[in-house]
Amino acid sequence: MRKDLDEFKKQKLVIGSIIAMPIVLGVVLPLVMFVPMVTMVPLDRPWDVNGLLEIGSLPNDYRSPRTNQTLENISSQDMVIYHTVLKNVHLNHCILVTCAVENSTLTNSTITNSTIDGSYLESVTVIRSEGSSLDGKYILAVSSNLMFIKTKPSDIDAVLPMMFNMVLMIFIIVPATLPTIIASYSIVGEKNNRSLEPLLATPTTDGELLAGKIFSSFIPSMGSTFLAFTLGVILLDVVLIPKVGYPLLPNLTWTLSILLLAPTACLMSVLACVIVSSKVSDVRAAQQVGGFVVMPVVVLMLGVLSGFIFLSPLMIFVVAGAYGGIDLALFYFARAIFNREGILTKWS
Amino acid sequence: MIICEGLTRTFGSITAIQDFTVEIPDGRIFGLLGPNGAGKTTTMRMLSCLIRPTSGKACIDAYQIGKKEDAQKIRGMIGLLPEVPGLYQTLGAYKNLDYYAQLYGIPKQKREESIKTTLTDLGLWDRRNEPVGGFSKGMKQKIAIARALIHHPRYIFLDEPTASLDPAASKMVREYILELKSRGDTILINTHNLAEAERICDMVALVKNRVVKVGSPKELARGLFARTISITLQTIPTSLLKDISSLEFVSQAQVNGNQLILNVRNPEEDNPRVIAWLMKQGLQVQFVSEEEHSLEDVYLKLIGGGH
Repeated sequence: MRKDLDEFKKQKLVIGSIIAMPIVLGVVLPLVMFVPMVTMVPLDRPWDVNGLLEIGSLPNDYRSPRTNQTLENISSQDMVIYHTVLKNVHLNHCILVTCAVENSTLTNSTITNSTIDGSYLESVTVIRSEGSSLDGKYILAVSSNLMFIKTKPSDIDAVLPMMFNMVLMIFIIVPATLPTIIASYSIVGEKNNRSLEPLLATPTTDGELLAGKIFSSFIPSMGSTFLAFTLGVILLDVVLIPKVGYPLLPNLTWTLSILLLAPTACLMSVLACVIVSSKVSDVRAAQQVGGFVVMPVVVLMLGVLSGFIFLSPLMIFVVAGAYGGIDLALFYFARAIFNREGILTKWS
Repeated sequence: MIICEGLTRTFGSITAIQDFTVEIPDGRIFGLLGPNGAGKTTTMRMLSCLIRPTSGKACIDAYQIGKKEDAQKIRGMIGLLPEVPGLYQTLGAYKNLDYYAQLYGIPKQKREESIKTTLTDLGLWDRRNEPVGGFSKGMKQKIAIARALIHHPRYIFLDEPTASLDPAASKMVREYILELKSRGDTILINTHNLAEAERICDMVALVKNRVVKVGSPKELARGLFARTISITLQTIPTSLLKDISSLEFVSQAQVNGNQLILNVRNPEEDNPRVIAWLMKQGLQVQFVSEEEHSLEDVYLKLIGGGH
């Protein structure tokens, strides 16, 4: 593994592309998309309650927050409400945190970590919340799953969550795509350089040899993905904080995705490419076949972007578990079919 | 000690090597000589546990070739130089050696010392970080040999160690191999270079998909060719050839200028008798020498010129 990493260090173009690709796709591209969208939002549209840019820095003239109660059949404004069940209420200029809202109307407000059912929302920012049977307009849904009836949200409200998901998917598909060339080269490249025979003559076991090849592709790919993820999150927050009021990212979905989905997807791609590399006799053939290995990740991406798959924490655990299982199976398969004799004789 | 008994390897309908039976004692340089496709590399790969024999068996010390549980131990005991050095061209000599030293599990401090000593001996310590791609073929080959020896193996397998090297580089590598022999290592060499084999090998096996003959280069020549004595006389009378041919211990005689060339059965016993007879005839003997046959003569006689 160290040898391969040392060889990469000598290949400045390879390092450059490994670092550049996630940054371009995961940082520059989202910024190019988000900045114009943010500026497209109508000026009269509140992205947050006026004057409440950050929860915790409330103006002195605001009432004490309501908490741990049930509010029914009231109309009110300029309130901060925690841990409350709201039924049939009309609220304006309010902040709701960890609430359950039913059959209510909310305008010019922010709802965080809550559930909303059968309500009308107008000029509302919904963060990390679940909603069903909703109606309304000018809704900014961030990391939320909102189901609407009657009227559709505005274009921007519909597009924004999808864009967040798309950016997240970039951080999953990039580490799956990035190592394909390196991993495809790993064994067939040694063969072409005639450096495989002395390597196979060492006491290194098949498992150790494969693990070395796998991690020498995995580590640079995931390293550059983490770097791009960190930069992307910081820059997106920088762009969105003035509108939303506080850092939106990384939320639980993003954190779990980058810690579970990205590495397992990357490993799956590396393993498949290493297997291909141990079976073909030409680097180009390995790279060509290796291109197919990102298909399971592409399927996930299409599912998420089309709305067919909702990336809840549970879903992330399920998909990552499936990917991890495939990774384990691929490793054992790679070890089982790794044949020193075949590599040396059949390729000659 | 390496013992091979009936080692055979086939690839489909092609038999690369058949019934390879030799014993290689410790501390010797053993040469495998034969034309391209004679099965030399296949034999070396079998002994390196890279490929399995189809039949027959071979042991290195107590470990058996082809036995899965012994393969790792055997690989740890041998150092292999393949036909092509197979160095990592973009890395320096130090990194190339260090990588392999790690694969052999040599502790950091020990491998640093070992690599420093090796590269200093090779005169490459100051150039240790330069990519080896820029080195001469001879230097690359020496680094590749050093790589095969980094873990101080008891058995060293060298496949065509001087192939494609110029005479100076070949000499450099040859001297290095002789230095290894002086350390008591057992060395197996595949080579086409008969002069080189004659110079450095204690024993050789002539192979052409099977072992044709095994022995030291001198033994092989003696076994194949009658021993020829060349005697230089001051003058050779015309009747000498007829007279000397009639002696019972002379099987063949010929004259070449003032040289009398004789085939005798046993030079150690017969030479003094020939000299005494010549002197009794009043002839003055200037030089006596034994005509030696080279390994090339042996090779051409046993293997032939064609492939």
